[in-house]
Amino acid sequence: MTNTAAPSWVKVVAEREIRTRVRDKSFLAATAVTLLIIIGLLVAGVIIGSRSDDFDVAVGPGVAPGTADLAGQVLVANGSPDAEINARSYDSASAVERAVRDGDVDAGLVVEEGRHTIVGDDSIDVALQAALTGAIGESVLQDNAATADVDLDALRSGTAPEVRLLDPNADQSDARSGVAFAFVITFFITALSFGMTIAQSVVQEKESRVVEILAAAVPIRSLLWGKILGNTVLALGQVLLIGLVGVLGLVATGQRELLAGVGWSMLAYVGFFVLGFLTLACLWSVAGALAGRQEDLQSTTLPGQLILMVPYFIAVLGGDQVRTIFSMLPIVSTMIMPGRLAEGSVPWWQLAVAVGATVLAAVVFVRVGTRLYERTLLRTGGKLSYRQALTVADA
Amino acid sequence: MLSVHDLTRCFGSATALDHVSFDVRPGRITGFVGGNGAGKTTTMRIMVGVLAATAGDVRWDGSPLTAEWRRSFGYMPEERGLYPKMRVLDQLVFFGRIHGMTSSAAARRATGLLDRLGLTERRDDVLETLSLGNQQRVQIAAALVHHPSALVLDEPFSGLDPLAVDAMVELLRDEITPEMPVLFSSHQLELVERLSDDLVILSSGRVVVSGAVEALRRRERDRFRVRLAPGADTGVFHRIDETPELAADGSAVVSLGEASPEDVLARLVREAPVAEFARESRPLAEIYREAVR
Repeated sequence: MTNTAAPSWVKVVAEREIRTRVRDKSFLAATAVTLLIIIGLLVAGVIIGSRSDDFDVAVGPGVAPGTADLAGQVLVANGSPDAEINARSYDSASAVERAVRDGDVDAGLVVEEGRHTIVGDDSIDVALQAALTGAIGESVLQDNAATADVDLDALRSGTAPEVRLLDPNADQSDARSGVAFAFVITFFITALSFGMTIAQSVVQEKESRVVEILAAAVPIRSLLWGKILGNTVLALGQVLLIGLVGVLGLVATGQRELLAGVGWSMLAYVGFFVLGFLTLACLWSVAGALAGRQEDLQSTTLPGQLILMVPYFIAVLGGDQVRTIFSMLPIVSTMIMPGRLAEGSVPWWQLAVAVGATVLAAVVFVRVGTRLYERTLLRTGGKLSYRQALTVADA
Repeated sequence: MLSVHDLTRCFGSATALDHVSFDVRPGRITGFVGGNGAGKTTTMRIMVGVLAATAGDVRWDGSPLTAEWRRSFGYMPEERGLYPKMRVLDQLVFFGRIHGMTSSAAARRATGLLDRLGLTERRDDVLETLSLGNQQRVQIAAALVHHPSALVLDEPFSGLDPLAVDAMVELLRDEITPEMPVLFSSHQLELVERLSDDLVILSSGRVVVSGAVEALRRRERDRFRVRLAPGADTGVFHRIDETPELAADGSAVVSLGEASPEDVLARLVREAPVAEFARESRPLAEIYREAVR
């Protein structure tokens, strides 16, 4: 023995995991693609957001002047602050129709036999149609009122209800739901891909029998922790990278206000992520230790996949009450609780229950997982089931 | 000294090892021989701590082996085991480091070993691109990289050509220190005979022979090969030994009984022209066959 100091096995094993992964071209490519997708989504959001509010409307002869401007005001009043309607005058109804058909304008306005008509090609934007309808109605109503000598203001007094939204962040609610969904999908994908990586890395060591040398040199527990530590660092690194790109994207697209609103839920997400990932990491390692070959992973990783898949669908599809309950359950909380934080305030006790339950589950999973891993890692000769692993004696 | 003490291992109702005891003396090479399923690999896996014994233990200088000390052993498993997709040098450095070496010390040592094994040019190649023979060289380097306190090598030479065996044997001889016990198993008796100082023969989970090779060979009464000049009367063989082993080439192996070699030679020379008179060492194969019969 050249050294007397106890070697830092966990560190050495973790370093190998990280080094191997970082050198892996397919891993780098997958990370790059993920980041490109995020950038793409942000850019697409900006483009769609800027485009949908601007409309060109062809106006034929006989349409009351100012109708298009009025429609623009209606659009703004209906919740699109940047909306604008550009009116273009045409000489005849047929010219208007041609412009619509050629796609030069989003819709046309003509007067046929004394009646206003909105002309569209195969469809008309719902908001635009509602705005035009409102504007035409208003201008015709004013004409009619003048003709009948009716005091329109008196007639209309008290008819318009006030609108008051209870959610203080109502103007950002869609964007915040988007952030919440991003939390869910990021954990789902990262936990699944790194979970499979852990399982594969374990089964590779079994398959190549290198585990025999490792087990002779290192306590199996240290081997497990090195693997988990290495992959947690990698997974967290990837999530932070994704988060960084997301934050920079929000800043670049001028959504600082949204960022200020969800910033601390992002921090909470990192904390929940580490807890959730650690809890599952032992399970993934056991899945690898149970398998004899790569092919066995399909069945041995099933519990891990289900534990991620079920809450994923609950997070995406569940109602408020279901989500509230599930946001306090371990592992599931990682997907749902930060999202709830992003969408609005969460009672502190629910947060405490979520953290407590996750920590408790992490302790139990790690305890049981470590024992199963120690028992099954050196077994050869085919796949073991979880039931067998729980009942077999130590090797 | 590394000792296996009263080791028993059962798999279900089958007994793989049945009260196995033997010593592996430091500074010497102990050959470990036995048929398929005799229990060699089971014994070695228990010695390095990847398998638990049902009863009995492994000892170092008479005391039970501690986990810390056991981890300083060098081990080459029967089914081998390295990372297929890792570079050769990185791999050896990793194995050095899990044994507590610093990166730089491990890198120096690994580079030196690869040089000795003629693999310097392959050190940055991924292991699976190497030939099986070269992979095996890397495997032995992995067992040696941390200057092990003992070596447990399960079939280290299987699948190697004679020159590769020689190179590896030479490396092993250089690496063995006076304090280091070395145990290696093999099916190749000729190789065991050439390499081993001591021998342990296992049969059906029991030790049937153990001891120094030289002593084992001489345990039986002395036997001599006698060759007479061409055309001489071979009846003389029967007058020395009632049941000589006659060979096809006209020579014979005779047991001397209580007589001394010099008396027998004098008598032979008086009766017939003697061309050859030589002590016959018993080949290991014969000891082995008798022991496991």
